[in-house]
Amino acid sequence: MLKVAIVGCGKIADAHASQILRISDCEIVGVCDCEPLMAKQLKERFPIKQYFSDLNRLLAESQPDVVHITTPAESHFQIARTCLESGCHVYVEKPFTLNAEEARVLIDLAERSRLKLTAGHSDQFTHVARRMRALVAKGYLGDGPVHMESHYGYDLGDPSYARALLGDRHHWVRRLPGKLLQNVISHGLARIAEFLTSDSPEVIAHGFVSPLLKSINEHDVLDELRVIICEDQRTTAYFTFSSSMRPSIHELRLYGTKNGLIVDHDHDILLRLRGSKFKSYADKFIPPLSFATQHLKNLGANVKLFLSNDFHMDSGMKYLIECFYRSIRQNMPLPISYREILLVSTMMDKLFKQLADTHVQYRNARDVLPEIVTAGVSS
Amino acid sequence: MPADSQHNLIIGPDDRILVTGATGFIGSRVVENLLTRGFRNILCFARPSGKNERVLSASAAKSLATRFELLEGNLLSRQDCENACSNVSVIFHLAASMTAKSFPDAFMNSVVTTRNLLDACVRDAHLLRFVLVSSLSVYSNRQKSRLLDESCPVDEHAELRGEAYCFAKIKQEQIVTEYGKRFGLRYVILRPGTVYGAGQDGITGRIGIRTFGPFLHLGGSNTIPFTHVDNCAEAVVLAGLVEGIDFEVFNVMDDNLPSSRQFLRQYKQNVSSFRSIYIPRILSRLLCYLWETYSHWSEGQLPPAFNGGQWCANWRKTRYSNERLKTRLGWRPRVSTSDGLQRYFDSCKQRVGHA
Repeated sequence: MLKVAIVGCGKIADAHASQILRISDCEIVGVCDCEPLMAKQLKERFPIKQYFSDLNRLLAESQPDVVHITTPAESHFQIARTCLESGCHVYVEKPFTLNAEEARVLIDLAERSRLKLTAGHSDQFTHVARRMRALVAKGYLGDGPVHMESHYGYDLGDPSYARALLGDRHHWVRRLPGKLLQNVISHGLARIAEFLTSDSPEVIAHGFVSPLLKSINEHDVLDELRVIICEDQRTTAYFTFSSSMRPSIHELRLYGTKNGLIVDHDHDILLRLRGSKFKSYADKFIPPLSFATQHLKNLGANVKLFLSNDFHMDSGMKYLIECFYRSIRQNMPLPISYREILLVSTMMDKLFKQLADTHVQYRNARDVLPEIVTAGVSS
Repeated sequence: MPADSQHNLIIGPDDRILVTGATGFIGSRVVENLLTRGFRNILCFARPSGKNERVLSASAAKSLATRFELLEGNLLSRQDCENACSNVSVIFHLAASMTAKSFPDAFMNSVVTTRNLLDACVRDAHLLRFVLVSSLSVYSNRQKSRLLDESCPVDEHAELRGEAYCFAKIKQEQIVTEYGKRFGLRYVILRPGTVYGAGQDGITGRIGIRTFGPFLHLGGSNTIPFTHVDNCAEAVVLAGLVEGIDFEVFNVMDDNLPSSRQFLRQYKQNVSSFRSIYIPRILSRLLCYLWETYSHWSEGQLPPAFNGGQWCANWRKTRYSNERLKTRLGWRPRVSTSDGLQRYFDSCKQRVGHA
């Protein structure tokens, strides 16, 4: 029986607890939050043995094998380091750390300690993402992706999070080097990072505050971002983050040397884009028919998954957790490579640096960063 | 001078009063009510918002020689709570999370905030009463009798109802009563029904839902426990002022309440006509049971959005009593239900017209 603990008892901790409890041969031995009431409410709603407001007590008394860190991002590094030093495997929610340097320190520590570490890029493990990966592995794209487009929409009208951020000048997200972007974009970037081969691709970023935010006198939070990523004059990618774009999509497009793929994460739809053309008018009639057929097949796949009780909203998270636990138990490869985690962090560092050079509010946020890093390392 | 014809009051006109959530729907009316009664030392606490000054200045303008302050802050900050509670005699605590869908968000913005406020209260010796505005939704409504009054039990497993707001309200009440026992904090809890009034629109879930497209009318002949916002504010203010009611709980709803069917008919006549499908109680009960069973079996593939607890709380045939409110507080509705509903419909119609 794998003993699991959760540190940080906010909204995402509910999703973790729900999915962990669906996995066999594991139990939640303890939860921890610096606010004891938050830890207590989580314990009361789920079959959890103990709750704590002190991380060291959780580690000493519950003795977990794995710790899930679901706290605000600025504390990820320090908590993960403490857990690794206590001999626990660690699942860190996204964003993994505040920067690539912190990510590197944690990965080195995990490797030295023969412990496992993963990042909460759970969107890469939904059913549709796994179908896409299987096709790519079979060579459907040809010689890997030539170009990728990752779209990540974000609805600022969502009351649960955006209003809390916009209504609170002291919200923790405002203290992140990349603010709102840092807390949200890693899912969208991780989709691209999976198919990049170099460790430090070129990143060109352009960010701005949307007219909507400007209209409510919010000038500190960039909510529009366009990024171009290039590596070795071979593979390129566009990443779009937008709060204004409608529909607010979450989509990945992959174009290979033979064919292409569209992964629609909102509707769990995977579409194949045929690389070759039909002759004459056949190219006007056969492709629409092919798309209609593909949409029907996607519908069938989704219905089948639902009927087989395997279509939960957080199915990607469950799959990632299961893979991570299997990797721990059977010493198998990790579901997300350390190279990929570092690559996402590196790309985020690069684009936040560029934004800092052009936006004074980001420069101010980054000034705070060395203190946070120092605090994490020295304690 | 503050005056109440039937009861002695625990504070005078210059004693300091704190109203949290002061710019909210009920909070702004509570402030107005206090000003009308001649209270002159009111501290309004609200989250930072461009609208706060505008909402409260309208009330302040009505009163001359009033020490009327707006303190913008966050009850999650202990320092903000201490600043707010200093030298306060009565606290009207209305701030709560109304929109949070997740349990942790609702809990943090209702319970943790209340605990912070209570900690600040017990550190300051001036407080005479803490008024918590809770909700009628805290009752399980599974009692044998159809009458729901203050003696009925609160839902012990609110987490199973799938309503984060209700869960947070029950926990909020628990923490207030705990501070009453541990620190002798003098509190009064109010549980308003469905608060309505001009400036709001929509139809309460006790009448029906639009979750699946067409409007499903679930209330049928059930009485809807409406309370007009001005009547609710009156009850809140009296709960903070009247002597000899410490540690008591009061349900708040108006007289001559309409049935769900009557309300829906009037809404369609006065605001906008739309198609609704009536779901008989036995069918809605069955559907809730099936949904809950499937949700449990599927390990949450469908969230437990509809379930037996929710059905009892919202759609079970129930009678309500405001007798205690009248006898102990001397409360009388300022706005009759017929007038209140007409004003509400007029306001809704204007909003529909502007939309």
